[in-house]
Amino acid sequence: MKPLPGEASIVITGMGLVLPCGDGVEAARSSWVSGIPCFAELPPHLGAGRGALCSAFKPAGIIPPMQMRRLDRPSRFAWGAVHQALADGGVDWTAGALGDRVAMTVGTVTGGSEAGEAFMRPYFERGPEGASPMVFPNCVANAASGHVALAFGIKGPSSTQVARENAAFMALDQATRWLRRGVADAVLVIGTDGLFPLQMELLRRAGRLAVHGDPIAEAGTGYLPGEGAQAFLLETRDHAESRGARIRAEVAAVACAAPVEESSEARAASLAMAVSEALGSETPAVWIGGSNGSRRLDELESALRKLHPDWPEPRFPKLIWGEFCGSGGQLLAAGMLEAQEGQVLLSGPGSLGCQCAAVIRRVRL
Amino acid sequence: MIRRVAITGVGFVSSLAQDAPSTWAKMLEGGCGIGPLTKLSMPGEPAQLAAEVRLPSGPDRGRRVTFGEHIALVALREALRTTLGPKGLHPRRMGAFQGAGTSGLPSAEAFAQGRMAGRRPGAADAIYQSPTTITDALGRELGAMGPRSTVMTACSSSLMAIGQAWERIASGELDLAVAGGAETLCMTTYAGFSSLKAMDPGLCRPFSRDRAGLNLGEGAAQFILEPLDQALARGAEIQAEVCGYGASLDAHHSTAPHPEGEGATMALRMAMDCAGFNPEDVDLVSAHGTATPANDSSETAAIRAALGGAAARVSVTSTKSQFGHTLGASGAVGAFAAVMALRTGKVSPTLRLENPDPACDLDYTPLFARERVVRAALVNAFAFGGNNACLALKRWEGR
Repeated sequence: MKPLPGEASIVITGMGLVLPCGDGVEAARSSWVSGIPCFAELPPHLGAGRGALCSAFKPAGIIPPMQMRRLDRPSRFAWGAVHQALADGGVDWTAGALGDRVAMTVGTVTGGSEAGEAFMRPYFERGPEGASPMVFPNCVANAASGHVALAFGIKGPSSTQVARENAAFMALDQATRWLRRGVADAVLVIGTDGLFPLQMELLRRAGRLAVHGDPIAEAGTGYLPGEGAQAFLLETRDHAESRGARIRAEVAAVACAAPVEESSEARAASLAMAVSEALGSETPAVWIGGSNGSRRLDELESALRKLHPDWPEPRFPKLIWGEFCGSGGQLLAAGMLEAQEGQVLLSGPGSLGCQCAAVIRRVRL
Repeated sequence: MIRRVAITGVGFVSSLAQDAPSTWAKMLEGGCGIGPLTKLSMPGEPAQLAAEVRLPSGPDRGRRVTFGEHIALVALREALRTTLGPKGLHPRRMGAFQGAGTSGLPSAEAFAQGRMAGRRPGAADAIYQSPTTITDALGRELGAMGPRSTVMTACSSSLMAIGQAWERIASGELDLAVAGGAETLCMTTYAGFSSLKAMDPGLCRPFSRDRAGLNLGEGAAQFILEPLDQALARGAEIQAEVCGYGASLDAHHSTAPHPEGEGATMALRMAMDCAGFNPEDVDLVSAHGTATPANDSSETAAIRAALGGAAARVSVTSTKSQFGHTLGASGAVGAFAAVMALRTGKVSPTLRLENPDPACDLDYTPLFARERVVRAALVNAFAFGGNNACLALKRWEGR
């Protein structure tokens, strides 16, 4: 949604990244500049194949060990990313709870699923005796928001959005609405997903994964999965300026459109519509795309490229950090790493649900 | 917010009946949809009760559909029939907003069970069935090309979805939305609540001194929301007015509510502020009322804190006593009870409330439905992770 005349401008004042390339903005920047994929052989518990795991994620000193045991991977990653984003945004949470003027929107698809498998596997083996009441509370998609709220004392509104590849776009969109309505002074937008064995087996069985080398955009040979979390601190410009926050970027627009038919052409038209609404008639300075190597997504952006041959070539973070299968926040992270004064277009093709787009500008890291 | 928002269509597939009017009639008669658990085979569980929806399922217009999609579509079609239009709206100005709880889990469970039994189950169904699938099905049925939002905040999901739909219509962005939730039984939630000792092996008794937990249920409740002026211009029947919503996080515990209902109170107050309600305006609270020991006393404290002295004259009701806990759909089910109360001036009962808990000292409409003036209502839904939501509704009084 673009701001109407008189509506508040929304800015990003903090960013935290937990990615397969490492934790933090500098690790992400190096990875993005190099363009070297982060895929490696998966550990045995995830089965055969390759993926991009956050193996270097170091929550020591951030997540207390007692808490760590209770968290699923998406919640751990989200906690780590929020910790960074608040520090980056100059928000001191150590002095006390952040309270009811800070809200949170989360995009995920695997949130709750890792715990679901961990809960049900022993149940199937041993019946009710095998079911752990410690695990079940993490079986909900909003487990991450609950843990982050507890960790930082966040008591404002919260929504967890699921939308296959574009959940973080929907979370970003909801955050801008709450800020413009004035129901919160700041909103943490989080995308988070974590790999788990059942997910990997399903993807392998369904033939979705690239099996011969790394994924290549538009090759249609499948994608490779990734994981991680991205957290962004959003505020109105007035609020950010009043507290002297460093403004890292402006969220110019978020748009989503959905097809009424289940064809590739209809989804491509919806993506073009979302992009057009977010960008208007302008040419982006930078284009970050959501292609991941699978035909179902890549053909949508391929059609968009044909419509706009004069636009810059898109870059695809999912070819470096993997398809997170839900959050999609790595697109916004890559857009932020571009540090462009002009319009940075983020196009989010989706295999289900909405096709999404967002535009950020005046990015200063 | 620049526009008032009306509910002009209601559809409800429940464990009591397969449409909204029949369900409402049975609710007022004191009907209970909870019965023996037949859809899941869980012989080791002490509780063997659930509120099951009896509706044959099969391909829908040639498409394979899950049971969750099926009941959601049946509810949407009923809602569209009752709203009679409108025609000629731009598809981009229509959207679908759904709350989901366990959508997709039954197929993943079947896959995992098959694998453990040494079979090689197909993965396509489990990949296909995601929470987004139901939202997509509803959006296509509506012909909507606008946003499709799938909210998963556990038991407050569908109330958050209705709130988001209100937000988009009130702001002038959309002209029509379907909003609500659909939930079907699955093994994970059944085993999960049982592991937490939160399931009553008998029929649940919200707000009772001897309450022992919840029963699980399934169902789908869908609402058509549109701008009030548009609804009036086309002569639609206004079922109720949506005036806003509130949401908050407890930041207290991953499953237990704050004992004093601190986060819930914030959500109620935010909803009332948003709607412009004073405590004295509110006549009904459609409660979360799960019948777990922790929820009911916490919720009572929150209603008291938010409404102050006015809490004493408010009617409270828990749909969980009639439909069990429908998890992701429960907020929409609670909203259904409130919308019908606003329309008819009748409050559905909280069944089996014969021995009230002294800590739960409000008027919970025990045992029998009651007639009363209902001008405005609040609908509560609270969830794991401390996600609280409250929806504010108002009776349509012709102006």
